[in-house]
Amino acid sequence: MIQQTQYTPTPSKYNFPQTLQDTALPTRFIELSLRSIKNIQDSATLYQPYETITEDSINPTEEITPVFLGQTKLKLNQIPLKPIHEETPVVAIDVSSIKIGETTTGILLAIRGAIVWKNQHHYHYLRIGPFPFHITEENKAEIYQLFRQYSLDAPEPSNHTSTPSLNYMQTRITTLLERWLQMNIATQSQNTLILWDGSLTAGTNDSPTHIVAQLLETARNRLNTVLAFTKITRLRLSGHRLTDLIEKCAPPCLLEMDGYPIAPSTGIQFLGNIYVAKLTRGNCSFRLDIDRKLPREQGVEAIQRLIANEQLAESYPETLRLAHIYSTFTANEVIAIQRLLAQTHGIKTVTRPNIRRLLFGPFGKGPEGG
Amino acid sequence: MRLYRKEGNTIQILSFPTENVEKGDYLQIEDPKQNKALITQVIDVQFANVPGILEELLRDSTNDENLNGQDFDPLEVASHVTYIQDSRLLICKIRASLDNGKISPTSTWLPSRSQSIIKQLPTTALLNLIKINHSLPIQLGETKDESPLNIDATALDGKLNIVTGKKETGKSHLSKLLVLSLVSHGAPIVVLDLNGEYAHLGYGADGKKNEYNPKVNVLTPSENFKVTLAQMKLRVILNILIHALNLPGTSAREFRRIWQFLDERATLTLHELGEAIRNWRCNQHVRDALFSRYYALVNSGFFTDNPSESVSLEECLQKIRDGGALVVNLRDTSLVDRQIVVEYVLGKLVDLLTQQKLKAVFLFAEEAHLYLRETYWDDIVTRMRHFGVFTTFVTNQPDTIRENIYRQADNVFLFNFTNEHDLEAVSRAAKVDAETVKSIARDLPSHHCLLLGTAVKDFPIVVRVKALNVQTMGQTRLFFTEKN
Repeated sequence: MIQQTQYTPTPSKYNFPQTLQDTALPTRFIELSLRSIKNIQDSATLYQPYETITEDSINPTEEITPVFLGQTKLKLNQIPLKPIHEETPVVAIDVSSIKIGETTTGILLAIRGAIVWKNQHHYHYLRIGPFPFHITEENKAEIYQLFRQYSLDAPEPSNHTSTPSLNYMQTRITTLLERWLQMNIATQSQNTLILWDGSLTAGTNDSPTHIVAQLLETARNRLNTVLAFTKITRLRLSGHRLTDLIEKCAPPCLLEMDGYPIAPSTGIQFLGNIYVAKLTRGNCSFRLDIDRKLPREQGVEAIQRLIANEQLAESYPETLRLAHIYSTFTANEVIAIQRLLAQTHGIKTVTRPNIRRLLFGPFGKGPEGG
Repeated sequence: MRLYRKEGNTIQILSFPTENVEKGDYLQIEDPKQNKALITQVIDVQFANVPGILEELLRDSTNDENLNGQDFDPLEVASHVTYIQDSRLLICKIRASLDNGKISPTSTWLPSRSQSIIKQLPTTALLNLIKINHSLPIQLGETKDESPLNIDATALDGKLNIVTGKKETGKSHLSKLLVLSLVSHGAPIVVLDLNGEYAHLGYGADGKKNEYNPKVNVLTPSENFKVTLAQMKLRVILNILIHALNLPGTSAREFRRIWQFLDERATLTLHELGEAIRNWRCNQHVRDALFSRYYALVNSGFFTDNPSESVSLEECLQKIRDGGALVVNLRDTSLVDRQIVVEYVLGKLVDLLTQQKLKAVFLFAEEAHLYLRETYWDDIVTRMRHFGVFTTFVTNQPDTIRENIYRQADNVFLFNFTNEHDLEAVSRAAKVDAETVKSIARDLPSHHCLLLGTAVKDFPIVVRVKALNVQTMGQTRLFFTEKN
């Protein structure tokens, strides 16, 4: 369990929590954060976006839905679940980022991760951050390389072509921090159910196949099971939404696709067995990916342990819900970060005018229309 | 502090946790460019409407023993979050503006939101600005910033005052403080003391005679306060009969004749009055009506035929003309007897003032609705005021005082009220807006008073009333005294 650290704590300049004491990223993370902010000219102006921009709003998570080969007819395999009442720790990870504003040279983001774990009926959380970053064309490569280095094991060759544009940096950095936390948890936990927000789809820029595979392998080697929950899925079978089809099944249960999932584009791989999970009574059901390299029975057993060891509301695990809540930024926190920047660097924040409103009045709908 | 909004004469100011501002405090909003300032008073302190606060409170609730955790927040953003969460919105009323150091009750300009400097205005500085006269100081107590608050006795001279607040908040205490302070400045005071609370003003807390003892004269009806009919004027006795004893008009006319008959013969005694009614040629119903009132007068114990038992109110009042308090102790007196006594005292006062035998008198009336007839209220605030009766009403039931009395009040000494109905009644005071009254009075601690009116040049000030070294407690008879 991650509470029981396997490392000897060492005195630290930043007084890290023990669970992350050993890792080098936070130190570099803070230093890079501070250094990037120092790049903002004194008394510079920070233009606050008119609307809240989170990593989801600028680049909504595009679920890559598989096509199931071997499907000749509408056939689903329903797996009824029986809770296994053996004490099993559950841990969940989530990361959020938010755009604080724009400067004349770049963008200012804040990023925060949360780990929530449940052990013996108690929930514990660890919040990491928030860390503000001022990302400019000049420093984006350095920042990105640092994240890749610590999150994805090895840095890519340092050239600007591999670094995403400023617009994509927010999403990329968020994913990279999430991977770093996932790796830490996979390494430090044992016999634990690890819950991720999202799927086990690999082969994208943020989630290279070998990295996700390595994460899953690390978890497996320590007898952990990774369960990935996708909140909104477009999974369909013969045109029918799978989350609708499961409505007729008595919870707790899983629906298993009959067939082998194939990605719609090359390079994409599904590293998990894909199910639709309805774990409690209610209206909600979710896509659930379970590490494909685990024996099928072990995967099902993991979910049976989850329903016995975890509070579930509308089929969604409480640890994952809390991880989301603890990582998410509130409007007040954005103001607090702006205040911190004003105090430490004299950065003045102004709100950008709503251009659509200015031009079109009440017809100014759209992203900034309100 | 930052200027946030202005609407009408209400200003909203954003205040931060390090700034200790409370209801009733004064703030000065300086606009250096215009060389002007606004003087405002905080009437309410609210939490600032911070976005996302509900989410944070729900998330960071640590009451759940099954949920705990830690934050790795090396940049200490959390301290800024807390700072913003604890920021407050001060609702203020504009009281005046300062233009090149000159104070003006109106404010036709708007200070700069970005350039204005907002700072607390200590009460002493405010008092210096508004230039309260201190030739005859009455020290009421201390303000929140522990500076003494003195008003001038002249601010009560010729004025109508109201002391009100719920029970046991200190209004009688303040009233006694005003009485003794006026006495020490040489003012004559008449107290209509409903509960016998003022009877011991001449004694210190230790029970020994104090410095005021020679100047406090207590008259208890039917004990040391009796009068003969000969001391009465026809107008006064008719007022008693009509207003206190509800004598019908026809009977009153007969009584007038009887009275004039006895007066002409210089036989105005209770005995002769009884005989005259018995033998008077009149309708039997009239006779019965007169007899029933006659026995009410007799049974009150306030009237006597023995001149040596009688007290001359005129002499008593002359004794205090250079400073003193005449306390009419109405404790243990029935409603009708109280009304008889009050009619007599007020009638006598008006007589003496009309005849210029008295210069003026300060009248303190506790719970006046319990003995003052309806028509007297207007009389007191208009006609009697011109004669030189300057009244202070003391009550814990503000709705018993009519709205026109509040409107004409020059000074209101307001103690705590929590009841909305009471606050509504008090807020009719014309000296300040209803919002100020309702908001500040609701949260006044015991023995703290919101002072409104002429005495503070219409700048409402909260004062903690000072202690008095006199026996001030109302002597309520208790059942469990022995056990306690």
